[in-house]
Amino acid sequence: MNRRLLLASALTITLPLVGGLFLVAAPSGQKSQTPKKTAVSAKTSSATQSAELPPSLISVNGVGDIDPNKALGSKSAPVTMEVFSDFQCPACKQLFTSTTQRVMNDYVNTGKIYIVHRDFPLPMHAYSRVAASYSRAAAHIGKDEVVEVALFQNQEKWEGNGKVAETVASVLTPAEMKKVQAIVDSKALEPLIEKDKQLGQVYAINQTPTTWLHTKSGQAFPVVGFVNYDVLKTFLDQLVAQK
Amino acid sequence: MMQSAPFNFRSLIIWIGRLVIAAVFIYAGYAKLFRPDMNPRPPIPIARSLFALQIDSYQMLPAWAVLFLAKWLPIVEIAIGLLLLVGVGLRIWAALVTLIIGGFFAVVLRAYMLHLDINCGCFAKPEPLTGWTVLRDGALLLLAVLMTVFAFQEARRPHPWSAPAPEHS
Repeated sequence: MNRRLLLASALTITLPLVGGLFLVAAPSGQKSQTPKKTAVSAKTSSATQSAELPPSLISVNGVGDIDPNKALGSKSAPVTMEVFSDFQCPACKQLFTSTTQRVMNDYVNTGKIYIVHRDFPLPMHAYSRVAASYSRAAAHIGKDEVVEVALFQNQEKWEGNGKVAETVASVLTPAEMKKVQAIVDSKALEPLIEKDKQLGQVYAINQTPTTWLHTKSGQAFPVVGFVNYDVLKTFLDQLVAQK
Repeated sequence: MMQSAPFNFRSLIIWIGRLVIAAVFIYAGYAKLFRPDMNPRPPIPIARSLFALQIDSYQMLPAWAVLFLAKWLPIVEIAIGLLLLVGVGLRIWAALVTLIIGGFFAVVLRAYMLHLDINCGCFAKPEPLTGWTVLRDGALLLLAVLMTVFAFQEARRPHPWSAPAPEHS
C-alpha cells in the first residue's frame, strides 16, 4: 500500500514537472532554419569588379542581393557562406584572422565555398560604419582583401582615434586612395551597406560575427560567434560532400 | 506477510529525481542527435557538427575535445537516462549524473557571468543563455544532489524483508 502511495505521489509530482520541461524544450512553431528573405534581386554579373556605382547585385545558390565586389569564389560552389561582421568587433577580428583566412585557402580557392562578406555595423561601435564604407569602396577597385586585413589588424588603433582613412591609406597607393575617397564621399555604396543590414535583420542577427551556410539543396545553418577552424572544418566537409 | 518499504520523503525524492532527470537526459541526447527543431532534419553527422559548434561557442575546450564531446555526449546522456530509469546500480549512475549536471551548471554559470551572448545548447535548438537557464540548471543540480545523497542513505538502511538481527543472550 505504501509503495503504491509512493509511486502515485511520485508520478503526480513528476509528470507535470516533466511536461513543463518538455514544453520549455519543445520546438518553436517555426521549424524551418531557412530565413525569410527579401525578393531576389537583379541581373547576373560575371565581373568581379563592377565599374558601375553601385554595382548590380547578383544571386548565387538562392542567396540574393550579393555585391559581386564583396564576394569570392566559384558561383557553382556547393556551399555559399555569408559572413555578417563588423570591422570594430573583436570577435569578428578573431574570426577573420584565425578562421576565415583558412576557409579562403582551403575552401574558397578550391571552389568548394562561395563566400560573401556582409556588413553589419553595430550601433555601439562608433567607427564601424565608416570602416565598412571604406572597405566597400576599396572592394569596388579590387582592393578589398588588403584593406580588410589592414582594418582588422589595426582595429585597436583606429577604433580609439577614429583614423580609419589613415589605416586604409597605409595599404593603398595615393591614386587608389584618391579613388576610394571619392567613392566614400559620394556615398554611392551606402545603400548596399544598408541592404546588408536589412538582410541581417531578416536573419534575426543580434551579434557579430554571424555566419550563414547555405547548401544547394536549400538548407541553411547559422553559426553564431567566433568558431575554431578545426571544428568548423568538420562541418564544412560534411556540407560540401552532401549531394 | 511481506511488507513494503515504508513511504518516506527520501524515497519520494529519489523517484522524482530518477524520472525527471532520466526524461531530461534522454530528451537532451535525442534532440542533439535528431534535431526535432529543424525541418528538414539533418543527418546525424551534421547534427553532431552543429552541436560541436555550440560547444565551441563556450570557448573552453580545444577542437579535439569539442569534437569528442559532440560525438559521445548525446549517446552518454541517453544511456545514463535509461540506466536511471531502470534503477540498477542507482547510486553509481546517480552520482555520475550529478557530476555531469554539476559540470553543465558550472559551464553555463561561467558563460552567464562572462555575458557571453551564446546559445545554451542544452537541448540542441537555439536557446539564449539567460538567468532562467541558470536557474533551471541549478534546480536540476539540486534535485540530482538530493537524489544521490538520499540514494546512499537509503542503501544503508536494512531492507524490510531482511531477517531481524539475532538477539544476544
